[in-house]
Amino acid sequence: MNINMKAAVVAVSAAIGISAGMATDDARAQAGAPIKVGFVTELTGPWTFFGTSCVAGLKFATDEINKAGGALGRPLEFVIQDNQTNPSAAVAASRNLDVNDKVVALSGPTSSDTALAMYGYAEQQKIPFLVPVAAFPQLTKPGTKYTFRIEPNAAGWGYSIAKFLEQRKPGAKVALMYSDAALMRAIVAGFKYQAPRSKVNIVADVLFPQGSTDATVQAAQVKAANPDYVIVIGAGAFDNVLTNQLLDLGVKPEQIIHPYGITSQVFGWGQRSAGSIYGTFFDIGLDSLTKEGKDFISRFDSANSRPPSYVENYCYNTPYILKEALQNAGSADREKLRDALSKLKTRELTSGVPIEFDKNGARKEYMYFMQIVSVDGKRTYKSKQIFYNEWDAEVIPVYDLVK
Amino acid sequence: MSDATLLILASTVSTGLILGAIFALVAAGVTIVYGCVWLPNASNGQFFLLAALAAWSLTGAGWGSALAIIAVLALGIVLSLLLEWVLIRRLYDVANRNVAYFVVTLGLTQIMSGIFSLTYGRWSDQFTLPPLVAGITMIGPFPLPNNRIAVLVIAFGVLAALFALLRYHRYGRALRAVFQNREAAALRGVDVRAIYKLSFLLGSSIIFLGGLLFALAYSFDLTVAWTMSVTAFAIMIVGGPGSVVGALAVGLVFGFTQAIVSIFASPTAATFSYLAAMLAILLFKPTGLFSK
Amino acid sequence: MNPRHLNARNMGIALAILALALPFVLEGNRFLAFVFGMVMINVLWASGMNLLYGYVGLMPLMFAGIAGIAAYAMIYLTRSFGWSFWLAMPAASFGAALIGVLLGLPSLRLKGFYFTLCSLVIQTVLTLAFIFFPHFTNGDTGLNQIAPPEWFNGAPLAGLWFDLVLAIFAVAGAAFCAWLVPTRLGQRFIAIREDDVLAAVLGINVVRNKIIAFFLVSLYAAVGGCFYATYVGFISPRAFDVLTSLNIWLFVAFGGRGTIIGPIIGAVILAPIPFLLQELQAFKDVLSGVLIIVVTLVLPGGIYGELLRRRALRRAAAQPQTGTTAAPRT
Repeated sequence: MNINMKAAVVAVSAAIGISAGMATDDARAQAGAPIKVGFVTELTGPWTFFGTSCVAGLKFATDEINKAGGALGRPLEFVIQDNQTNPSAAVAASRNLDVNDKVVALSGPTSSDTALAMYGYAEQQKIPFLVPVAAFPQLTKPGTKYTFRIEPNAAGWGYSIAKFLEQRKPGAKVALMYSDAALMRAIVAGFKYQAPRSKVNIVADVLFPQGSTDATVQAAQVKAANPDYVIVIGAGAFDNVLTNQLLDLGVKPEQIIHPYGITSQVFGWGQRSAGSIYGTFFDIGLDSLTKEGKDFISRFDSANSRPPSYVENYCYNTPYILKEALQNAGSADREKLRDALSKLKTRELTSGVPIEFDKNGARKEYMYFMQIVSVDGKRTYKSKQIFYNEWDAEVIPVYDLVK
Repeated sequence: MSDATLLILASTVSTGLILGAIFALVAAGVTIVYGCVWLPNASNGQFFLLAALAAWSLTGAGWGSALAIIAVLALGIVLSLLLEWVLIRRLYDVANRNVAYFVVTLGLTQIMSGIFSLTYGRWSDQFTLPPLVAGITMIGPFPLPNNRIAVLVIAFGVLAALFALLRYHRYGRALRAVFQNREAAALRGVDVRAIYKLSFLLGSSIIFLGGLLFALAYSFDLTVAWTMSVTAFAIMIVGGPGSVVGALAVGLVFGFTQAIVSIFASPTAATFSYLAAMLAILLFKPTGLFSK
Repeated sequence: MNPRHLNARNMGIALAILALALPFVLEGNRFLAFVFGMVMINVLWASGMNLLYGYVGLMPLMFAGIAGIAAYAMIYLTRSFGWSFWLAMPAASFGAALIGVLLGLPSLRLKGFYFTLCSLVIQTVLTLAFIFFPHFTNGDTGLNQIAPPEWFNGAPLAGLWFDLVLAIFAVAGAAFCAWLVPTRLGQRFIAIREDDVLAAVLGINVVRNKIIAFFLVSLYAAVGGCFYATYVGFISPRAFDVLTSLNIWLFVAFGGRGTIIGPIIGAVILAPIPFLLQELQAFKDVLSGVLIIVVTLVLPGGIYGELLRRRALRRAAAQPQTGTTAAPRT
């Protein structure tokens, strides 16, 4: 009698359990399996700082999006893999995500090296590839179909600086001091192309090899050439060395222009550099910050003890861009997503800047110029926006200037 | 002479002296250990970087620069003792230990750079220390930050003290005796293993100091470790392994070469002249310029 | 399994069969197939490094630089002159091997630490050359979308056939080493490793044999480099820097230098790590450093070397009456 009772209880419980399980299965099937996007970024290796910063921004956005129901009624899941700042690891990770996770799109790299390696794979395998941070022009060279670059390209930055100077001081004399790396060369190429057209005169041009330590002698030579502005593009810490040694020799902060300034760089330049100018794509001092932007800044700042810069911002916007494109596409299909991205006309959630991609996946480009007002230790700083510029990627022959 | 020319001249001298002194210090540290223990320390750049990063952490937490420097040097001595006990002393009696040491220190380099990448590499992409001494001294039209003067004074002071130690103090003489002939030194009552330990401590501490001075004079990032390693080896090879005089002389020459060549040629030529020098010495006079 | 059959030759044959079969087995899983392909390239490289490090006794840190020269040259020939990969690869490899000999010439008289240091300098120079001659190499930016080799009918070599080609080359490379070591040339290498002064006294032309060794090793590096470029599809100066050389050295040292099987084991165990085991990624450098130290201090003969040593000890213990024990065949 007992055994039968026990058996009956077990059977009924099992039946209830199974049907409950099936019910939740049904619910889950209705909620939908997550839409997976592969996110291959630099979590270790020389670019670990940028990769981990990017993921920090990304996580904010994915949490928000999924709390609000995800995309197409399904959770949006970014599968994060480390590429170790190594192109072959980036390709392997892309392949893994493509083949094993069957991701609908790829994203993630902040280094142009890894981005270019993934570009080859994405174009070949026809996977939409949304590059959040790498600036290298060749990522959207003519013939590109599946790759979309969110950050304006580096040659365009150089162009934009020339346009800024054209407006700020016509006929300005400019000295260039930069490290020898692909990014710097690209910026300088764009600048040198536009400089004569903007009536800007280059009075000094100093290229430092990787591994340079001291720039005092060159700074003295540059000072002797008496420029109105010095454009400083150092690699890593050398940027600080260049800036400080120029300031030591009596160059005024207002004469120094940095093409890009993320928050760690601004803190590195410090209060000494108050008055100097830097370019950026997102900053806590922007005039056009939206409510969502200000909200993102304050939440990121409390969580990470530092304000976000454009790296974190792009990685924050990437999931939103993908969500909107997926909704427009109507389904998590690679070809439909690719078409939707291509036709996308939207704005950055945090700053309202328009997002639109041309036929090669290059974005309609833009840049802000900020002037440092004050730097408070390592915690916060104040900058004010002094210039804004929008242009088409191909306003200069960018794909010929930079191979 | 015009102001501009004076400016360029003064900056050449100041750069040459600072870079030269720091190069000389690190190379001296590497050459002492190689000459005495036969230990080519491939991880010298990582020690250099460790000192700089530790100082950055301390000053970031509110410590003054001077206090941070002393603390880091003390930390360096403790770490060196630990390393000697765990790893270095195991190879003291091995026959061709210079190759084994080179490889082992390459492994140590990987470990340290991996740790730095996981920690400091995620916190920032560049690091700066607050100056030791604030203010600027004008030498004619040339503004020389007092911080740089302080670094120069300390660097040359330590180099002079090192020289005196090796030449006149009995520990120094014992070091040189062991370097020249280990068996003979042992016969004369020198505790060879103790001397090995001392020279490793001394060499590492000097490298730590070099890293601290570099961090005071310049901003730095994680790549400086590799650059400094290769430069230090180049100076040691060209100067002659084991020769502190060689390290000093060649270090200063390298520092000035960078500065002087920069006036006429591109910085690229200047920075890589040392590679050519190293190759030339390796091929034609492997014992180095100042070897005995 | 009868332990007597577990000798090197049978192990080698078993590994070769496994290598040639795996592309078919892994066809369904393109990710694992990619890892397999990378392992094959590294096996080829490890065999080459082992020739110089294991058998001649010199540690060539410029190995990766030679691979880079061949890769860049091969791409230049295929892109600028339209050559087929199968023509460009041998030409580029041969050229790179000649350059490897030329670069090795100055260090002929050096031994041990000085040779290693010299090769380190040469590797540094090569990496710099890759960055500073952007006309050929596109500098820091690197070259991407490198086309795979073509198949007989003109279609690109892809999928399991590419993996199979890589496996064939890896097996051929190891087999060549296995053939070479017992020959007079191989024995001369070993003599030079043991004591090159004595070798010279015995009438061995040390310089000439070292040059031959440099040439062979550079050939291995070069062929591996060409395949690496087409398999991954992207190269940059950083793909061929001193860390790459060090990694390959670690495969050889860890696996067992001076043996044929050792480097293969080392490559098979260590090479997949960067691609698998995502959780370990952060510690990859630390792990690699610890391995280098452990191998140098505790396992100077590598894993396979340790295995052989223990087997020899067991044999000696099992025959206490005999005066001599046969040395293990490697």
